[in-house]
Amino acid sequence: MRALGKAAPDDDRPLIERVRKGDQDAVRTLYERYFDRIYNYVYARLGRAEDAEDLAIDTMTKSLTRLDLFQDQGVAFSSWVYRIAHNATIDHYRRHGKVTLVSLDYAPPLESADPSELAVEQLSNEDLHAAIRDLTDEQQQVLILRFFQDLTAAQVAGIMGKTIGAVQALQHRALGSLERALQGRTAN
Amino acid sequence: MTPEVQRLERLAERLRAVDPYIPPPGAKIRGWNLVWAAVEQSTTARSRVHPVRRLVIGAAAAAVLLLVGAGAASADSLPDSPLYPLKGVLENVRGALAFTAADKLTYHLDLAQARLTEAETMIARHRIDLADTALKALDDQLNSAALLVQTERIADPRSAARLQERLRQAVEIDDQQLADLQGQAQAPAAAGAISQARQHAADALTLANLPSASPGASPVGPAGRTSPSHSAGHTSPTATP
Repeated sequence: MRALGKAAPDDDRPLIERVRKGDQDAVRTLYERYFDRIYNYVYARLGRAEDAEDLAIDTMTKSLTRLDLFQDQGVAFSSWVYRIAHNATIDHYRRHGKVTLVSLDYAPPLESADPSELAVEQLSNEDLHAAIRDLTDEQQQVLILRFFQDLTAAQVAGIMGKTIGAVQALQHRALGSLERALQGRTAN
Repeated sequence: MTPEVQRLERLAERLRAVDPYIPPPGAKIRGWNLVWAAVEQSTTARSRVHPVRRLVIGAAAAAVLLLVGAGAASADSLPDSPLYPLKGVLENVRGALAFTAADKLTYHLDLAQARLTEAETMIARHRIDLADTALKALDDQLNSAALLVQTERIADPRSAARLQERLRQAVEIDDQQLADLQGQAQAPAAAGAISQARQHAADALTLANLPSASPGASPVGPAGRTSPSHSAGHTSPTATP
């Protein structure tokens, strides 16, 4: 049951021009288009509704009031909004002292857990969210954008400033790390 | 497809099926109110800045136009015009941009001709004082041209010979004009100043024929005066470079 729908195509430019002139309808359209997605992204990263609400509002405010900066970025508006959201989560981590995690890419496989025994269909949403938050920053980002936000590899590449190939490789490693993290959780 | 890839594909499918976090309606309304207020404020701030920016740009453009217009107008100004000092500034700029001996000679001869024209007009307007100043400035320019020929003779005698010939022709024309002017001048003071100017023009030609003074020494003209000499105490638009 997905409510976010497919990612919006990059047809925001006509709206952005209207926003620059203070057109309330255009502001409303962009707000409706991105607020839920950003809320979802930040919530998945932080795991707290209050923080997600504050950071989503902050992200939308910056996105729609600093359009002079967006003009110089040379990227799609959607990419720009996600980058602002990403920076907001990083700032939030810094302010609240998030523990830096060692990447699970290189963690030794758990000998007691057989990957084939992991019944992914039986995993709860909470388990998946919690396991994702144990991953590295980039791994979290790629999994949330690709699977929770339904963005294409090309769109994620635009947001993360990577090539599509690098995003695909990162996605593969992130899924492997997530699998190991879930095995560790179910083993405990 | 390897077993590992199959497992990761299943995991990816499971992730796609995770229900998204949906913001509560209250949060969305609160967010909209805050975002719209911020957008409205930033739009208002931008529209406030624009008139000020337009004003500054307009003032700068007007200043540039004024300077360009004044510069153009001063090019034909005469000693009794308020724009005459600006003419001197522009002439000095032109002098600073003359690098070769030929360019410098052209510069001095052009200015000599300009001073002569000014003197003619001032005499016609019965401004003998200003005419006298213009004639002395004419003398300065011819002296500078003569010194230039002298100096060039050391570096390149053939080039100096060409410059000297140009100076001779210019002095000849100037002298003819001065002679005409002398015939028209009614005021004794004006006639005296013109006569003196003709003598100094001839002196300049003689000066150009003399061998160059030793380096560092002040060139001395045939009448025993140090050149250029006349600008001191007089107002001319261009100080001799």
